[in-house]
Amino acid sequence: MKFSINTSPLMKRVIFVLIIFGIFTALKPEFATYASILSIVQGIVFVGISSTFLTLLIASGEFDISIGAVTALSAIVGGMLATHLHVNMFLCFCASILVGVVVGLINALVVLYGNVPSFIATIAMLFIARSLADFISQSEPILNFPQPWHGFKDSFIGNYFSIFIFAILVILAEILLNHTNFGKVAASIGSNKEAARIAGVNVNRVKTILFVLTGAGAALSGYVADIYFSSSRTSLGSGWELLAIAGLVIGGNSLFGGRGTVLGLVLGILLMQIVATGMVISNINQWWQTVITGVVVLISLGVDKKRKKVFVHG
Amino acid sequence: MDSIEVNSYALEMSHISKSFGRVQALDDVSLKITQGSIHGLIGQNGAGKSTLMKILSGFYPDGSFDGTITLAGKEVQLRSPRDAQNFGIAIVPQEITVAGTLTVAENILLSELVTKSIKFFSKRKSESKVQTFLDSNHIPLDSSQLADSLTLPQKQILMIASALYAQPKVLVLDEPTSSLTADEIETLFAMVRSLKDRGFTTVFITHKLSEIVDLCDEVSILRDGRVAYECKRQDFDTDILVENMIGRSLGDLYPMKNELDPNAEILLRVKDLIVENPRQPGEKILDEFSFELRAGEILGLGGLLGSGRTEILKALYRDNKILSGEVELSGDKSFGRSTPKVLQAGICYITEDRKAEGLFFNLPIRPNLTAKILNSCKKWIFLDRKAEKTLANESSQALDVKPSDVETFIGNLSGGNQQKVLIGKGLLTKPTILMLDEPTKGVDIASKAEIYQIVHSLAEQGVGIILVSSEFPELLELSHRVLVFSGGKLQGEMIGKIENEHDLMLMSIGGK
Ligand SMILES: Nc1ncnc2c1ncn2[C@@H]1O[C@H](COP(=O)(O)OP(=O)(O)OP(=O)(O)O)[C@@H](O)[C@H]1O
Ligand SMILES: [Mg+2]
Repeated sequence: MKFSINTSPLMKRVIFVLIIFGIFTALKPEFATYASILSIVQGIVFVGISSTFLTLLIASGEFDISIGAVTALSAIVGGMLATHLHVNMFLCFCASILVGVVVGLINALVVLYGNVPSFIATIAMLFIARSLADFISQSEPILNFPQPWHGFKDSFIGNYFSIFIFAILVILAEILLNHTNFGKVAASIGSNKEAARIAGVNVNRVKTILFVLTGAGAALSGYVADIYFSSSRTSLGSGWELLAIAGLVIGGNSLFGGRGTVLGLVLGILLMQIVATGMVISNINQWWQTVITGVVVLISLGVDKKRKKVFVHG
Repeated sequence: MDSIEVNSYALEMSHISKSFGRVQALDDVSLKITQGSIHGLIGQNGAGKSTLMKILSGFYPDGSFDGTITLAGKEVQLRSPRDAQNFGIAIVPQEITVAGTLTVAENILLSELVTKSIKFFSKRKSESKVQTFLDSNHIPLDSSQLADSLTLPQKQILMIASALYAQPKVLVLDEPTSSLTADEIETLFAMVRSLKDRGFTTVFITHKLSEIVDLCDEVSILRDGRVAYECKRQDFDTDILVENMIGRSLGDLYPMKNELDPNAEILLRVKDLIVENPRQPGEKILDEFSFELRAGEILGLGGLLGSGRTEILKALYRDNKILSGEVELSGDKSFGRSTPKVLQAGICYITEDRKAEGLFFNLPIRPNLTAKILNSCKKWIFLDRKAEKTLANESSQALDVKPSDVETFIGNLSGGNQQKVLIGKGLLTKPTILMLDEPTKGVDIASKAEIYQIVHSLAEQGVGIILVSSEFPELLELSHRVLVFSGGKLQGEMIGKIENEHDLMLMSIGGK
């Protein structure tokens, strides 16, 4: 297969994902069934919702490692309210999202006003959020969700609810990042903070908004997971930060900021999910699975390779 | 109060003082800028010019300095760059600052995009809108290009275009010409003059007095954070300006050129070299060319923007691809295939872009100066801090870097002093061939004279020097020979003497 020069980077990635999908289908034809595809998509929905806005935050030059932990905390908070205090679904939603907003605000405060690098500040937040979740739930899974939750889950909408939310979120975020003034301003900060300041950008304000959006997105994922599983566990979302970062990079995002593509993120995590599922279905030896995942990640990076070198002269 | 008097000033800065720790950058500075004038602001490196203009552009917000700012007769508080913009002040800062991952159009529109509400952004529409603006102002940029892919002078032009786009009432240009070549400077001057014709005001910072004489209606001189001298156009006198700038008379700017020994060893022989265009991999930037460099010779490379001179130097330094041809160092054809090897062989390159590829801005002066020679201050496997510090101190003193404390962070130095550190870093490697790319960029006139003296004495000691400079007088006065590149090839060669300036200009344009 030869890529023409004009194929956009995103298109190349789509083709690459299709090729990988094709390979597994050739190995096991049932890989391409509706049920199998649905389970693959379902498999990326929660990490996807959790990391959608992270793409924007990273484009602006900051990181958030705490997304998975925030998802867990929000799910636990929602679950505890629903099961122990019998709070209705809507108020649970508000509470869950509030968790994310507060975490986002604290992250922003520590990073922007405490001058702590976001990488470090949000690692700290990861630990705090996770232990809070453990503490609130006493590390017990929450299983006894009351009726409306089950009812919703088992309805036809409930079945596709999470995928629908994910799709909406991705479209919104992609438009926000690449087709609005806000997105351009966010990217300009990640590209060159000084240049953004000269242009009159209130850097801290924009970054605070993005930290809060990222927190809220992660929290939304927790709430949607509550609905989907009608249960919540503190282990939810562990390791998602790495998955999200890998997905972002595979999808053509720069971890140094300055630009971003939410669609790329989706393709990135989708690719990893296809590989993971495909290998299970094709009975590939456990030990090899991890190795192959790594190799596919590396190859996918080569799909659209632009090397950049920086030398110091003088 | 006499209101006519007040209204004739676009801008007054009164009793401005600002210090950074122990450094008093500005000490009770008062500046009045006539409405509709082009106001020159000059002074030595570290005099406080950029600091004053950063205050004016809201970069150092109200409260972080003493004194007041009055715009068109009304006192204003500038709390952020945004505030300054809203009052019609636009600044082009001294250091190249563009958002590299954004397009030219996005960079130019950026300040317009900063709104509280969210609006759709159409890439196509904005690019055509910006292209119209660029074309109607004769600015040679492509609005759809990524800023990262621009050359350094193009980035400078982009910054100027961004400032102009806002149609500012007061435009501040902090050393805009230091990264531009002659014909772009002419274009810039034309733009500034047309602003003036429309009644707008410009503050123009430069180290080149000829530009002041050419362009400005009035001038203020800062020295050590104070206003040392002010005058109007009719009283311009270069000698008086220089004296007030440096506090003494200068003497000769250029050293006497030494005779070149015709039998001196040929250090470098370049034969049929074809150099890659780093922005178009695989393509050549120039037709093949050949030249020789003798020990003790200062060889100038002349030309205009994009004539490929920087790329040639980088190719010799192996930081840009050589497509074909030969490079021979003292008869050795295989002296180095990588930058570290070339450096070891005694070839040193001093970049034109100190911010992006020259200095570690987050480190102090000392590690910047010694970055290339750490091997020579080793004790067993450890770094000999004392030896390192001694070397750094010597180098900093030789170049008169201010402040003299080598533990000062590079980012806190004035632009010209950063440039001196950059040169010091290269000189410490004791090269046999020194390649200088715009070495006096942003350097004040007294320090220029010092750098010229250093270059001259290196040549006398037998170092071969290749000099790229967009300042034609500098190029002609220092070089023994000048090779002129234009129109994608080596156009010709001339003797380095100031009488050739006109010919050099013609030949530089000629190939277009
Ligand atoms: N952020 C900072 N922190 C500490 N000192 C600073 C800072 N910015 C400037 N200075 C100091 O203030 C003084 C004035 O610097 P400024 O940049 O205004 O000089 P300048 O006149 O623009 O010089 P140049 O011609 O070299 O650009 C210098 O001594 C410089 O070292
Ligand atoms: Mg300056």
